[in-house]
Amino acid sequence: MSILEVNGIRKVYSSRLGGNKVEALKNVSFSVEKGEFVAIMGESGSGKTTLLNILAALDKPTGGSVVLDGLNLSKIKDSSLAQFRRDNLGFVFQEFNLLDTFTIEDNIYLPLVLSGKPYREMEERLRPIAAKLGIPGLLKQYPYEVSGGQKQRAAVARAMITYPKLILADEPTGALDSKASDELLRLFSEVNMLGQTVLMVTHSVKAASVAGRVMFIKDGEVFHQIYRGDDTNQEFYQRISDTLTAIATGGDEK
Amino acid sequence: MIYPKLAFDGIRKNKRLYLPYILTCVGMVTMTYIIDYLHYSKTVSEMKDGSIIGEILYLGNLVIAFFSCIFLFYTNSFIIKRRKKEFGLYNILGMGKHNLAMIILWETAIVAAISIIAGLAFGILLSKFAELVLLNIIDFGINRQYDISVPAVIDVTLIFLGIFALLLINSIRQIRFSTAINLLKSESLGEKPPKANWFLGIAGIALLGVAYYLAVTITNPLAAITTFFFAVLMVIAGTYLVMISGSVMFCRLLQKFKGYYYRPNHFVSVSSMAFRMKRNGAGLASICILATMVLVMISSTSSLYFGEEEALMIRYPREINAEIQMDGIENLSEEKIAMTKKVIDEAAEKSGVQISNEISYTAAQVTGILNDGVVETDVTSYVMPDLAEIEKGLYVFYFVPLEEYNRIYGTRDTLESGEAMVYCYRGELGLDEISFNNGNTFKIVKNLDAFYLDGDATMMMFPSIVLVVDDLEEALGGLLSLADFNGDRMVTTQWVYNFDTGLDPDGQVAATANIWEALKELDKTEYGIYSRSLSGREDSRREFMELYGGLFFLGIMLSIVFLFAAVLIIYYKQISEGYEDCGRFGIMKKVGMTDRDIRKSINSQLLTVFFLPLVFAALHLFFAFPIVKKLLMLFNLNNISETNFFAIVCIACFAVFAVLYTLVYKVTSASYYRIVSGRKEDAR
Repeated sequence: MSILEVNGIRKVYSSRLGGNKVEALKNVSFSVEKGEFVAIMGESGSGKTTLLNILAALDKPTGGSVVLDGLNLSKIKDSSLAQFRRDNLGFVFQEFNLLDTFTIEDNIYLPLVLSGKPYREMEERLRPIAAKLGIPGLLKQYPYEVSGGQKQRAAVARAMITYPKLILADEPTGALDSKASDELLRLFSEVNMLGQTVLMVTHSVKAASVAGRVMFIKDGEVFHQIYRGDDTNQEFYQRISDTLTAIATGGDEK
Repeated sequence: MIYPKLAFDGIRKNKRLYLPYILTCVGMVTMTYIIDYLHYSKTVSEMKDGSIIGEILYLGNLVIAFFSCIFLFYTNSFIIKRRKKEFGLYNILGMGKHNLAMIILWETAIVAAISIIAGLAFGILLSKFAELVLLNIIDFGINRQYDISVPAVIDVTLIFLGIFALLLINSIRQIRFSTAINLLKSESLGEKPPKANWFLGIAGIALLGVAYYLAVTITNPLAAITTFFFAVLMVIAGTYLVMISGSVMFCRLLQKFKGYYYRPNHFVSVSSMAFRMKRNGAGLASICILATMVLVMISSTSSLYFGEEEALMIRYPREINAEIQMDGIENLSEEKIAMTKKVIDEAAEKSGVQISNEISYTAAQVTGILNDGVVETDVTSYVMPDLAEIEKGLYVFYFVPLEEYNRIYGTRDTLESGEAMVYCYRGELGLDEISFNNGNTFKIVKNLDAFYLDGDATMMMFPSIVLVVDDLEEALGGLLSLADFNGDRMVTTQWVYNFDTGLDPDGQVAATANIWEALKELDKTEYGIYSRSLSGREDSRREFMELYGGLFFLGIMLSIVFLFAAVLIIYYKQISEGYEDCGRFGIMKKVGMTDRDIRKSINSQLLTVFFLPLVFAALHLFFAFPIVKKLLMLFNLNNISETNFFAIVCIACFAVFAVLYTLVYKVTSASYYRIVSGRKEDAR
């Protein structure tokens, strides 16, 4: 059963006077099965971020539809969009996006507090997640006091604590050193093993190689996709990198 | 010549920061010039009591110059903080510290030139207007001549060149001691979470509490002067501590209550408030102090000004007031008094005076320190008492014969020997018995609500006690033989003779002069006179107007300056918050807050932070009220307490201030939202 269905979405940006139109997404269709770990790859300007913003309901497509767990995003009223995002989606960003006014713990609680959950329940949810992510000792600290890798783990905890249907990750390793990146990617695949659906946008081959499927976007379209099958991370890495080379050199022939 | 160009560019690109700064500088220069101009003005020195106004203006000038210096430092440091990033970039691109210093030098020079030239121009334009306002306030003739005061121009130029030189040194010092990377990152520094400093927070609350207690419990107007000074210092320190530490402490305390803190509408507000207060505590405290100063200044000086007529009436109860000191109790006889009265009455009649509302009585006066119902009269220093002695309980005691009291008030009270009726002016007595060392003891049988005191008593710094006794000579007893160092008698005996004239003001002035001529000629020995004084209400009206009007004028001028400052602090606060908040805005949205929620939350925080100083200012004013009222009593505004005149003035001042403040809030929060939403679009 697919949890996310993207049907032929288009996104056109027009300049302020309406003269110049830029088509960021032409015709994107794909679906994500429950429990899948999908990576979307593409170069800068390929439309990755636009796609992610539309999936996150932060932006509206010009045409086409996004259906999450049977619910069409364009049918949701603007007033309940924020709540929908809180309840169904978890976000991990490149720059962590932790609020510096909160402790790590409060940052993680933020979506639950906004949904009006009682403190006791929040605490119960946090305990196992914090243990899995290895951050119980950091909870009382402030973002500026911890390292980048620790911040990103806190951000993952914040994404997971609402038990979202889908975790959207936007270049999650972009601001991390290689050791912290490896750690985070290992966490992502562990979380995925437990049944969490993850959709990650990245241009790091290393990051993509932990996913179960990699889609390549170019010029606003899904250009190609490959499945891991029985490959090890190492083997999958090689295939992704080969594919990228192929796309970059001979891609235009299609 | 690249430096002037870079400097100009720097100012132009940061006009959101520089424009208000330059405006403030211009405003400060203008104000300083105007006050200095009036200080040198011929019109002022030609006034009857021009020296009083001159003194007041000179004092005001010092205050404004000093305040300008502090305040421009504050705003300049704000600009430097934001400019550091740009300087860091120049530094990385290969400019040395020396080059940066040159840019700063040029920038300061440009700002200084604009400020001083524009400020003087405005000052010269407005000085005449200010003079008209001042002359109007003190009701003086109008001077139509237009002039520029050269000494004032020189003064102001020197003062502000000095201030700008200090600012320049400070800016260069700050650049000098930081590295390129520090400069680049300086804006994102200071993001550490605020720690609640319990000690300072509680100390602040305690300071405010003590100051409030002092202000409320004060009874002696004279002691009020020193107490007021200490209370002001405590309130200033307390306000800063409470705003900086106390507010963070309060937020941290709220966070401890999990059931309260983890609610959607408290969660974001409480934790961001802690940050906001940490960033703005000092600024808010400054706003609060300035607001309080403006309110206290305006309400007290306007009370003085509008209560001038009343003060005049108290000081000069009748249109013409004579007070004759007779040479010893033996000369305080009906016969001697009748002789003098005849002279005065004849002179008055010749000037066309029709004597009415006549008040005439005899009294004996002695000064002493009252302690536990015992009066020590052997005070040799009472001529120039110091404050400490007054606080110990220095009083002027008036002994008035019962017969005279009954005559003035039309009563038929009776007293035994050793009994007295008592009236206490400016103070409370609460005694059953009062006894004089070297004199007699009196049982207090009645406390009087009022007694007709002559104007001199109202001019005394210390409180007076009137004892109505059966027989003057018997009551004074041993006191009569006391003498001071010079061998002068310590008890003075006087005859007070006050009356209205039925003449117009000019007639009154002429009559007073005529009577004084006659009185002056009297032979001291023949008439048994020790000394004599005569005062006319109209003669003194001018002096009153100038003193009270001058204070009122200065109050207005200083208030304008302080308001200027408060508005600017508010503006910079909003702008700096705008820059810092826009990042947070975006994150909250991504995590699942709606635009409206965020705006609502931020709006409520802004409101709270904004109106906190106003609330505190109101609180300060409320507690300052009793002590300021006591101080006003020294200016003969004692009936104010009964008519609630001062309270009404205070409330009116506060209302006007609150409206102004809200207006400023509206305008500045618009620029806050412009910054926040502007940056959001850039990020997309």
